[in-house]
Amino acid sequence: MARRRPFSLRRLASASVPYLLVAPVVVAIGAILGYPLYRLVTLSFQRYGLPELIQRQGDWIGLDNYRSVLGDSLFWDVLLRTVIFTVANVGLTMALGTLIALLLVQLSAPVRVLLTTGLVLVWAMPAVVAVQVWYWMTNFQNGVLNHILTQLHVGDFFQHDWYASPLSQLSMVTLLIVWGAIPFVAVATYAGLAQVPRELVEAAHMDGAGPVRVFRDVTFPTIKPILLILTSLSIIWDFGVFAQPYLLIGASHMNESNYLMGVYVYLEGYAHSDFGRGAAISVLMLLIVAALSVVYVRRMVRVEEPA
Amino acid sequence: MSSVSAAPAPRRRRRGGLLRRRAWDLVGLALFVVLVFPVFWMISTAFKPDDEINALTPTWITTSPTLDHFRDAMARPYFWDTVQNTLIVVGVAVSASIVLAFLAAVALAKYRFTGSRLFVVLMLGILMLPPVGLIIPLYVVLARYGLTNALTGVILTYLTFTLPFAVLTLRSFILGIPRELEEAAMVDGSSRLGAFVRILLPLVAPGLVATSVFAFITAWNEYIFASVILTDQANHTTTVWLSYFLGTSRNVDWGALMAASTLTAIPVIAFFLLVQRRIAFGLTSGAVRG
Amino acid sequence: MRARIIVAAVLVGAALAVVASTASGGTAASNSITVWLQVDAQATNWEPIVKAANAAFQREHPGVAVNVQYQTWGNHLQKFDAALAGGNAPDVIEMGNTEMTKYMAAGAFQDISSDRSSIPNSGTWLAGLAAAGRFGGKLYGVPYYAGSRVVTYRTDLFRKAGLKVPTSLAQLTAAAKKLNSQNSAKGFSPIYIAGTDWYVAMSFVADYGGTIARQVSGKWKGTLASPQAIAGLTAYKNFFGAVSKASKTTDETRPNPYDVYAQGQAGSMIGPGWFSCCVGDKYKATTGQFVMPSRLKGQPMPGFLGGSLLAVPIGTNKSLALDWVKAYTSTQSMTSLRSIGNIPNTTSLLGSSVNERAAQKSWFVPTAKNWVNVENGNILRNMLAQILTGRLSVKQAAQSASDNITSVLNA
Repeated sequence: MARRRPFSLRRLASASVPYLLVAPVVVAIGAILGYPLYRLVTLSFQRYGLPELIQRQGDWIGLDNYRSVLGDSLFWDVLLRTVIFTVANVGLTMALGTLIALLLVQLSAPVRVLLTTGLVLVWAMPAVVAVQVWYWMTNFQNGVLNHILTQLHVGDFFQHDWYASPLSQLSMVTLLIVWGAIPFVAVATYAGLAQVPRELVEAAHMDGAGPVRVFRDVTFPTIKPILLILTSLSIIWDFGVFAQPYLLIGASHMNESNYLMGVYVYLEGYAHSDFGRGAAISVLMLLIVAALSVVYVRRMVRVEEPA
Repeated sequence: MSSVSAAPAPRRRRRGGLLRRRAWDLVGLALFVVLVFPVFWMISTAFKPDDEINALTPTWITTSPTLDHFRDAMARPYFWDTVQNTLIVVGVAVSASIVLAFLAAVALAKYRFTGSRLFVVLMLGILMLPPVGLIIPLYVVLARYGLTNALTGVILTYLTFTLPFAVLTLRSFILGIPRELEEAAMVDGSSRLGAFVRILLPLVAPGLVATSVFAFITAWNEYIFASVILTDQANHTTTVWLSYFLGTSRNVDWGALMAASTLTAIPVIAFFLLVQRRIAFGLTSGAVRG
Repeated sequence: MRARIIVAAVLVGAALAVVASTASGGTAASNSITVWLQVDAQATNWEPIVKAANAAFQREHPGVAVNVQYQTWGNHLQKFDAALAGGNAPDVIEMGNTEMTKYMAAGAFQDISSDRSSIPNSGTWLAGLAAAGRFGGKLYGVPYYAGSRVVTYRTDLFRKAGLKVPTSLAQLTAAAKKLNSQNSAKGFSPIYIAGTDWYVAMSFVADYGGTIARQVSGKWKGTLASPQAIAGLTAYKNFFGAVSKASKTTDETRPNPYDVYAQGQAGSMIGPGWFSCCVGDKYKATTGQFVMPSRLKGQPMPGFLGGSLLAVPIGTNKSLALDWVKAYTSTQSMTSLRSIGNIPNTTSLLGSSVNERAAQKSWFVPTAKNWVNVENGNILRNMLAQILTGRLSVKQAAQSASDNITSVLNA
C-alpha cells in the first residue's frame, strides 16, 4: 500500500499528462460523432421512415425493430454467409500479407523498391475505381481474364459469365477485396519487422536456429501487436464491407442469395428509407462484429498494457 | 518500404548466398506482375483508342496510343477544382489526424490511467459501426453547424473516422518498441517523455509513416460521406468526381474513366515516394542503435 | 519537454476549433435558388438549354441567383433524404418517374395543383409522364422529358439479308433467323437483348395484355401469374432464345448494348433512342432505327416510357422554384430538348421520329409507394434469370415473383 503522497502541483501536472494527450481526440470525435451515435441508438427504437424523416418526428416502438430483424430468416442467412466470407477474406489477407512482408526482407534492394511501389499502386486505387477495373477485366463480353484463361489453355472461357451464381460472384468479390487489402497488411507488417532487434536475430542464428524458429521466437513476438491490430481491423472491415460487393456484383444482381451484411443494412434500411430498421441492423452489426473480434481485442487491450 | 542504404551486413548471408537471393527476387517479380496487373490494365486502357477498348479480343498494349481520353477527362467540369479540393481535404485531415492520434497513442502506450481501456474499446467501437448508419445523423449535425457542402465538413468527418484507426495502430507500434532502449535512455537523466521523444521517436517512424500513408489513402479514396455532404460540383473531391462518369443514364466513356482514374492515383504515388526516405532513416537509425 | 507537448496539444485543439467555426457554404440565402438536375443535363448539347432557362428566370427575378447542382442517378435519392433531414433540400429537384410515388406518398413535395394552369402546356402534357406526378388527387410533379425504347439496327446487314423493316413480331423473329444464318461469328446476336432486361420483357407481357400488379380496393396484388402475363413471358423466353446470345443473367448495362453493337457482335439492339450516339465510327453510317413491332401486325409493342419530372420539395421557396420550372419547361425549352433527341413533355410538340412514335403506346410500373423496393430487390430480374436459365418454369417463376411483389408493395 503506497504511502499517501503530499499534494503538489507538479504531481498534479504529471498525473494529468495522459488526459491532456488524449483530450484533443476525445473532443474532435465527440463534437462530430457524439450526436450521430446517440441518434443512431435512439433511431433503432423508433419507427422512422421517409414520412417520419420529413416530419422530424418518429414513433417510439421499443424493441420492435430488433424483433422484426431477428425474426427474419433472411437476416440469419446473411449473417452466416457474411461470417464465412469474413473468415475467408481475413485468413487470406493476413496470411498472404505477412508472407509478402517476410519476402520483402529477403529481396535485393531494387526488387524491393519495385514490389513496394507495386503494393502502393494497388493500395492507392480507390475502391470505386478498383471495382470498375476489376469488372472490366472480368466482364462477359470481352473481359481480359477470360482471354488469358483461354490462351493458357485452362479451358474454353470465351464469354464465361463470372457473375452467374452467388458463389462465383462472392469469389470474385473475395479476390478483389483480398487484392486490395494485402498492401496495407504487407506494408504495416514490414514496418513492424523493421523493429525486430537485429542482435537478437543474430544471436539466434549463432545458436543454430532455423528460419522457422527465428520467426517463432524472435520475429513473431515483436510483430504480434501489429498482427493483432491488423487482424482486428480486417475482421471489422471485411464484415461490414459494402462498396465492393454492391458495385462489383452490381446493383441489378443483388438478391437474397448473395447479400452480405454491409449490403443488407444498406438495402433493408436506407434504400427502403426505413431508417429505424437500418439503425437496428447497424447496432446489431456492431454487437456481432464486437463478438467476432473479442478474442483479438481482449488480447490487444489486456496483454499489451503499458508498464 | 524501400531502404536505400540498409542492406544487411554480408556476414549474415553466409547460408545460400547469391542464388537464394536471386530465387527470392524471381518470386518477388512474379508477385509484382500478378498484383499490379489490374493497375497496368487500367493505365493501358487509358491510352487505347475506343475501338480497341471495345474489341472482342483484348490487346495488351496498344500500338496506336491516344491522349484523347486524358484530354476528355481533364476537360470534364471542375477537374482542377476537384484535385485542389482533395489535396486540401486530405492534407489537413491526415496531418491533424496523425498529430492528434500520436499524442493519444503515446498516452495509451506509456501511461496507466483510469479510462484507458474504455478509450481503446470506444475507438474500436467506432470502427465497428457500419458507416451507412451514420450518414444521415452526421449530415444533420453538420447542417446545424452550417458545414454542409463545405470542405471543412468533410475534413472534420474524415478526421473522426481516421482517428480511431490511427490511434490504435500507432499505439501498437509504440508498444512494440523494446523497453530496454527506453530505459537505457533514461539513465542519462532525461525525463521519461523527453527520452521517448528524442530517442524512440525515430524508431516509431516506420509505423508513423505506414499509418499516415494509410490515413492518406483512406481519406483520398473515401466516397460515401463526401458524396452526401458535398452537393456543389465545385466542392467535390476526386472520388465523387469520378462517380459522375458512371452516374449518368447516358453512355459511359470507359477510356475517359480509366484515364481519370490514372490521373487521380498519381498524387498518392507521389506522396509515397516522398515518404519512403523517412522510413529508410528509421531503419538505419535502428540498426545503428541496435 | 512535457510542457512543450502540452502546449502543442492545446494549440492543435484550438486550431481545430477555429477551423470548425469558419463555415463556408451550407444554407441557401433567400436571394438564390438551388436546383438539382441529373448529370445527363450537363452534356455539351444539353447544358445550353439549362443556361437559357436560367437566363430567362433571371430576367424575371434580377436579384436571384440560380445554383444548378448536377447529381448522379446512383445516390441522388440518398442525398435527398439527407438534405430533407438536415433542412436544406433544393428548391427544385429532378426525379425519375418511377421514383416519384414514394416521395409523394411521404409528403416530400409541395402541392402545386393550384399553379397548374400557369405552367406552360399543362393542358397537353404527355399523359403517361404526367400521371407519375399526381398522387391522392393532387399535383406534385411537372413533366420534364421522356424516352422510349426502339430497335437500333444495322441497315447494311438487313439489306444483305434482303430484309425490310418488320411490322410484326413474327416478321422480326424471321428476320433474326435470317441474320443468324448469314452471320455465324461466335457470340453474334441478331438482336442483342440482355437476359434480365425487364423493360423489354414487360413490354412482351403488356403486348399480351398482362400487367405487373393491380390495385384492388386499396391493396396491391401481383398479376404476373395471370394467363396473359405468362403468355407474354413465354413469348419473351422463346424470342430471347432465338435472337440473343447475351448472358441470360446480366442486365442491360453490363455490357452496354451499344458497345456490343460497336464490336460488330449485334445485328440490332433494343434500347433507348440515344443508343445511336455510340455505335462506333465503323457503323455510324449504316445504323437506323425502327419501332419495336407488336405481335399484332402494324402496331407498336407497348414500350416502357421512361422519363423525369420536376418537383418542389417542402420547406423551400415555392413561387421562385415554380418560376424556374416554368422557364425550363417553356415551349422554347421543350423544342430545344426535343431537338437533342428527347421526347418533350407535351403532345403539341410531338413529331414523328422513331422515338416519339414508339412512345404512343406505352406501359408504366405500378404507382405504388413501395415500387422502388421491388426494383431494388431485383424481383423482376431474378424472375427473368430463372426463366431463361431454365432453373424454374415460367409458371413457377412468375408465381413466386408475383407473390413477392404482393408482399413488398403492401408492406
